[in-house]
This record gives sequence, C-alpha cells and structure tokens, in this order.
Amino acid sequence: MASIAGSSALSFARPVKAINTNSLAFSPVRKGNTFLHLQPMPMRSVSCAAKKDTVDKVCEIVKKQLALPDHTEVCGESKFSELGADSLDTVEIVMGLEEHFDISVEESSAQTIATVEDAADLIDKLVAGKA
Amino acid sequence: MTEEESGVRRWLVDISSWRPSPDQFDAAAALLPPHERPAIARFVKEDDRKRALVSRLLQYSLVHHLLRISFHQINIRRTAEGKPYLQNNCSDFPNFNFSTSHQGDYVGIVSEPLCLVGLDIVSVSEPQGETAAEFVSNFSSYLTDHEWNCIVGAGTPRDVLTEFYRYWCLKEAFVKAVGAGVGFGFRRLEFHHEGWTNICICIDGEVSKKWRFWLFKLDETHLASIAKGDPEDAINTFKKTLSSVTIAEKQLSSALDSPEEAFTLQTVEELTQSQE
Repeated sequence: MASIAGSSALSFARPVKAINTNSLAFSPVRKGNTFLHLQPMPMRSVSCAAKKDTVDKVCEIVKKQLALPDHTEVCGESKFSELGADSLDTVEIVMGLEEHFDISVEESSAQTIATVEDAADLIDKLVAGKA
Repeated sequence: MTEEESGVRRWLVDISSWRPSPDQFDAAAALLPPHERPAIARFVKEDDRKRALVSRLLQYSLVHHLLRISFHQINIRRTAEGKPYLQNNCSDFPNFNFSTSHQGDYVGIVSEPLCLVGLDIVSVSEPQGETAAEFVSNFSSYLTDHEWNCIVGAGTPRDVLTEFYRYWCLKEAFVKAVGAGVGFGFRRLEFHHEGWTNICICIDGEVSKKWRFWLFKLDETHLASIAKGDPEDAINTFKKTLSSVTIAEKQLSSALDSPEEAFTLQTVEELTQSQE
C-alpha cells in the first residue's frame, strides 16, 4: 500500500525528483502485479516515457539556456516556467534542442512543451520519425 | 461624494527594493489561499519566487480592493491555457478580467470591467553569447515580414533589440488578453504604428478596429504594453468565464476610446496591509 499512497501524494506535490517505474517494481508485495504499472503517474503515459538519455540532454540544454547553477535539480517533471523560463527562453530552448537533435519542431508542437519530459517525448518521436 | 467605480486599474510594483527575510516572505505568502503557496514554492530561483508571490498578491489585492471580498474568499482559477480569472464573478463588472506580468524589477496588473485587457512587461536586456541580430533572428518565425524589416532596419544593435522587444511585448499582451497560451501563433498578428502611438493590429491579415494598444517605457530597460479589446476575440476556454461577450458597438467604442491611465506604483507593504 505504501507505494500507492506514495505515488498519489507525490502526484499532488509534483516533486522535483522524477518517478521511475523501477522503484515500484522493488516493492515485494507488488511483485508480478501488473496492476501496479497502470497506477496513475505524473507522467503522461508510462509506456511512452521518454528515454533517459533524452531527458538528461534536455535538462543540460535547459540549464545552460537558463543559466542555472550545475547543482540545480532539473528532471523530467520540471516545468520550464518554474525553472525561470519566460516565453523567449522557451523558444530558444526549443531551438537549442532542434540544433542538438537535428530535428524540426513545428510552432504548434513547440507550444505544448511545458516540462522537460514534454520536450524529451517530442524529441524522441521526431527522432524516431526520421530513422 | 463617491465616484462611480470603473473597475479599471493599472498597478505596478518595483520589487528591486523588496528584500524580505524568509519569515517576511512566508508571512506575505500566508495571506494567500493555501493552494497558491506550492505554486510559488516550485520556482527554483528566489527572484522568480518573489515575482510569483507579488504577482499573486497583486491579483488578490486588486480583487479585494475593487470587489471588497477578503482574500480567502476570492476564487481565482485558471483556464487550461493558464489564463487566471475570477470564478463566480458577481460584481457590477460583467466581464471583469485582469492580466499580470512580471519581468526584471517589475510586477504589474491591469484590469477592465468590460473589454479584454492584457499586460506584458519586458526587460530589454543584452543577449548573452550572441549579437542582437543573432538573438532576434531566433524569433523570426514569430514575426511577420513587415515587422522583421522594421526590426532589422531599426539602427544600432540596441535599437534592433528594443524594436524587437516592442513587437514581442505587444504580441504577448494581445495573446494574454484573449486568454491564449503560447499556442496562439504570433505570426498571425501584425502591428502597425506611428512612432509607436496609434498602434493597431492586423489579425490574419485583417485590420481590427476593436483593439487598442499602448507601449510604456517604465525605465531605461523596461517596457510595458497594454492591449485592450473586444471580448468576442477571447478564446473559447476564457470566453466561457465572461458574462457579456457580445457588446453593442457603441458601448465597445466608448470603452475602447476612454483615455488610457498611467500606472500607479504600489509597494508590497501596501498590498499586504490592505488585507489586515
């Protein structure tokens, strides 16, 4: 029960730390219980969670654009606005991502990006589309 | 002898001189309804937390001041796009709406009883690690060809930067007034002006007579823009919160043409004291 209570409390508080499905699998009581993997999570869709490498790269680019100190905790859940990005910063972040990943983000898609995870999801899709 | 309350306000706070201790900060935050506090705490940088707090204090103070409701009874919600509005507006102002903005040293709020209103404040700051021309070209797809030409032809790099920020600031004010998020499509909007007065907007290529715009210079580095216009142009999620979306043309013209007021400077102390 602890992990279920934990996830609902976390989803309300929107913690800085990303929730990782692996941590749920460690709960011995829930071993093999597929129901656990369908728990509502702060992320949009567990099965489409962005690759860790992508999330890490986005965090790096965002930190650079917003001139955040290295020790700042930035993860998938982090909202650009909460990291200090205004609309101009968001446009520049998206451009930085386009350059690094060699993709092109449409204005309409760019505008749905609110969190690091959103950006990473979009990047993964666009990169996969190119392959 | 009481003046009829117009519901129109233009308030500005200079936060550079507000340096609260953690206790003072928390005391100010405690004036707001509980659900607002986590939102403020999530901002990573202290200055952003300050701006977020003052922005909300302005919203609640304004509503308290105009509608005489205590802070904890004020119900400010946000649409899916993030536009804040007063829920259950029982005031005499059928379309009471407001817009806040913060940048640099300033946090501001504007309100109107009938027309939509939007505010944007920008700080004209030198870009880091790139020239003004390089910086501005990042945003070329958000500007129309005409605006782009005006910007690049503005003169010195500082002039180019300032010109860019004027156009950006105006677009933001409009988009915020109609309740849209960043998803509106800045390139659909084109601004025309005479020396930055008589500013008018073309939306999707058509001149709109139902919007007015003003640009203010707050100080050497900060600009503010105000957009005021027809409630019919609100996007659906925001339009639903308004009572009187269709206004008689004469009434709208009269509201649009009423003279624009200057900002009133408020201090954080004044905002917090108003609730005591």
